Amino acid sequence: MGYKVALFVPCFVDQLLPQVALDTATVLRRIGCDVNFPQDQTCCGQPAFNSGYWDEARPCAERFLRVFREAEYIVCPSGSCATMVRTFYPELLAASALHGEVTALVARTYELSEFLVKVAGVTDVGATFPHSVTYHASCHGLRELGLRSEPLDLLRAVKGLELVEMQHFDECCGFGGTFAAKFGSISEAMGVSKADNISAAGAEFVTAIDPSCLMHVEGILAKRGDRAKTIHLASILASTGAGA
Amino acid sequence: MNAPGPTRAPITRSPDHPIAGSSLTPAQRFLRDAAEKSADLVHREIIRKNMESYDAAHDKGRGRFKDWEAARRRCQEIKREAVNHLDKYLVQFEANVLAHGGHVFWAEDSAQACAYICDLAQRRKVKTVVKSKSMVTEEIELAAALEKLGITVWETDLGEYIVQLRHEPPYHIVTPAMHLNRKQIGDLFREKLEPGLSDDPVELMAAARRKLRQAFFAAEMGISGANFIVADSGAIAISTNEGNGRLTTSVPRIHVAVTGIEKVVPRLQDLATLWPVLATSGTGQPITTYGTLIGGPRRPGEADGPEEFHVVLVDNGRSRLLANSEEREVLHCIRCGACLNACPVYRHIGGHTYGTIYPGPIGSVLTPHLRGPEFAHLSSASSLCGACTSVCPVRIDLHHHLLHNRRDTVQAHETKGSERLMFRLWRTVILRPRLYSLAGGLGRWGLRALYGLGLEGTVFDPMREWNRRRAPVPLPRRSFRAQWKKENRR
Amino acid sequence: MSETYNPGRDRILERIRAGLRDAPPSPGGTVPDSAIFEPVLNARERFEQEAKANLMECLPAVDAVASAQNLTQVLDSLPPGEIFVQDDPTLRRLLEAARSARPIRWSSQGAPSEASQATVTLAHALIAQTGSVFVTTACGGRGASVVAPCHIVFATTGQLVPDLETALVSAAREGVLEKQSFACVISGSSRTADIEKILVQGAHGPRRLVVILQERN
Repeated sequence: MGYKVALFVPCFVDQLLPQVALDTATVLRRIGCDVNFPQDQTCCGQPAFNSGYWDEARPCAERFLRVFREAEYIVCPSGSCATMVRTFYPELLAASALHGEVTALVARTYELSEFLVKVAGVTDVGATFPHSVTYHASCHGLRELGLRSEPLDLLRAVKGLELVEMQHFDECCGFGGTFAAKFGSISEAMGVSKADNISAAGAEFVTAIDPSCLMHVEGILAKRGDRAKTIHLASILASTGAGA
Repeated sequence: MNAPGPTRAPITRSPDHPIAGSSLTPAQRFLRDAAEKSADLVHREIIRKNMESYDAAHDKGRGRFKDWEAARRRCQEIKREAVNHLDKYLVQFEANVLAHGGHVFWAEDSAQACAYICDLAQRRKVKTVVKSKSMVTEEIELAAALEKLGITVWETDLGEYIVQLRHEPPYHIVTPAMHLNRKQIGDLFREKLEPGLSDDPVELMAAARRKLRQAFFAAEMGISGANFIVADSGAIAISTNEGNGRLTTSVPRIHVAVTGIEKVVPRLQDLATLWPVLATSGTGQPITTYGTLIGGPRRPGEADGPEEFHVVLVDNGRSRLLANSEEREVLHCIRCGACLNACPVYRHIGGHTYGTIYPGPIGSVLTPHLRGPEFAHLSSASSLCGACTSVCPVRIDLHHHLLHNRRDTVQAHETKGSERLMFRLWRTVILRPRLYSLAGGLGRWGLRALYGLGLEGTVFDPMREWNRRRAPVPLPRRSFRAQWKKENRR
Repeated sequence: MSETYNPGRDRILERIRAGLRDAPPSPGGTVPDSAIFEPVLNARERFEQEAKANLMECLPAVDAVASAQNLTQVLDSLPPGEIFVQDDPTLRRLLEAARSARPIRWSSQGAPSEASQATVTLAHALIAQTGSVFVTTACGGRGASVVAPCHIVFATTGQLVPDLETALVSAAREGVLEKQSFACVISGSSRTADIEKILVQGAHGPRRLVVILQERN
């Protein structure tokens, strides 16, 4: 296949959930991509942007643009971070000296499942994951990037995987970035509702394309001793059945 | 004939939640109420059942259209045309109303609107007023102004009547008493109306009908809102189901219609799309039972109808929002309530928590502009999931407007100094990859040490908010970049 | 010109005009009518279908005799008492043919009273798309379609129009709201779902809406 992919690794994945990024690279390599990781990247600027600090976010966005200037395909295992670049960089960088380059950057940036299905044209990435899994449709991927079927197409092609539907699969889990810090009680309540729906679905695992959703939901499931565990889509796709 | 009246006059609700301790700012009060409601599982279950019923009806309703998305685009076009040429259409509307024998009063703010209506009521010796549902009359606090003059005000929409009897603000802009079950309403009616009533909704409605009938036929003035004001016909359009809006605008000798200036639509035929879309988004119905059009007072030869018709056009901050071209489309709102129903935050905290006339996503977008920066917190009380935007029938980009509101708050220096400092530090770190790696590593190491000492969740734990509500996030020894560097050194 | 003292009017208009200085030009409608709703192919059938869904009673009648029979049937089902009837030659003939012993208050005598058990009116039009009865003040006034517990409408199939768009375009063209002070599109009996979202029929308006639909002669 030979796509040259530059990994765009969300800052909190880099620091707290490194396996997600490692698995992303594994999957991409398995389908024949040449994967590299631009070391200079840090953060796309979303936390500051979402809190209204656009002047602080802008230099981070400009930096991102420079770091990924030479990349042919930029692939990210996070719907919200890919959204930051695709949906919000044009507005954030409208007044920047680099605004002329934003369109090209946007055209080269993909969330992982989107890249696999729409660019590489594959749904079967040779994965095996013999467990029951329910899918949570993370908000940015669903509503900003319009990714409705891609993650599900990939999951259906995984050997041994039993896909279980959950109620309100597209209702927000309640993380919302700084929202979880500023409005912790509401964030928790929304997370509990999501956890209730996950439990009711009865699957062993819940997956999503956004590691932030999974981090938040995992914390709530674990706290109440729920049997369901979270796992990122990349980790399922990287799995070859040798235990999870 | 005087109204037999209740045992005491219904008192108007204040938009502020009636919990003691009102020395709190709106933001503090919001946090307190949100925490309380978030933990209230009984409340959550009531909302859940209501929303489940709405969701089913809404899905069915959208299925009745050949192309729901086309309907949304048409409604967006209609409102965009109306709002972007607001002066032209308001002047056309006014000319037509005047030609039909009606009056039009332009109120710059709540005070002027209330003054006009109160003055009219006094000059016409009004003792009793019946009201049909109108969010803008809540906004201008009209009932309180009338009651101060000793005028009895009856809310006649069943949901509004219920919350009026409870001295509460409406919970939802379409279903004001959504938070109550039949037993609570039964208790209320047994206390205030008739002792022998059961909890059967049919019986409760009949009791309300009996009581309010007396008011309809005794009132000298009926006050309504307007869902739309039609420029080419000089008519107000009111969408209702109960018939109270019909009686309010037919029986008393004076009819006052209060409306925001943004409610204008250019042509009568625009209602052919707006009426079904409003009904579908509001309740899932194909159309509301009554689509009423009123162009003026009773004409010579007509059997009945009010002798006087007044339209009060309310600005109250709308023209200022209009001037903000980025936010102007917020004025396209047709007050259907769909965004409230779709919002997961609303579903968990309910309508009263917002402490505003307009709750939910539209309220969070609108209120800081209409009432000021002390309501800026509402724009932050969202996970930006975008469900609101996806259901808005006039395609307002609601969640992106929340982002804009947040940006504007920062630019006006209305955020906490500590937060500004935090993001400046954050920027400094993010722009320097080595500093970022160091900070990340130190952070993880520090937290591991802290948790090793058993200080998780305590005041020393910077992640205590997280850890109080969730199991702690695992802290890997090495970041991804460190592992990648190692693996790819060969 | 109105007697209303309106100091705020010009200030509001000035603020609006200033605020719209950068408003985009009119793009014109881009969504065709045909895109939004399925076309109504058989107006009669659609009307009856929608009326049923609206919990209205739609009584077909082949001729005036049958209409009178339908009316008699409905009136007999109501508690004793006065009825309010729109004063119109067609309805005078219909009431006479129905041979009802009830006292009748005609719209020419004034508004309906609380004692009315039912009102009987004509319609301006029937709208198939939504199963609606389109009335104006020319149909016996405003109260005629809302005050009594039962509203009976006499209409013919010739009054059917396919959809809301047609009805409203015609209404605007005919200047309905120039001539009448009020019009209403009625799609069912009054109702509420304000208590636990449970549908209760018969709120402040009629509990029953009956349409006697006679074949156009």
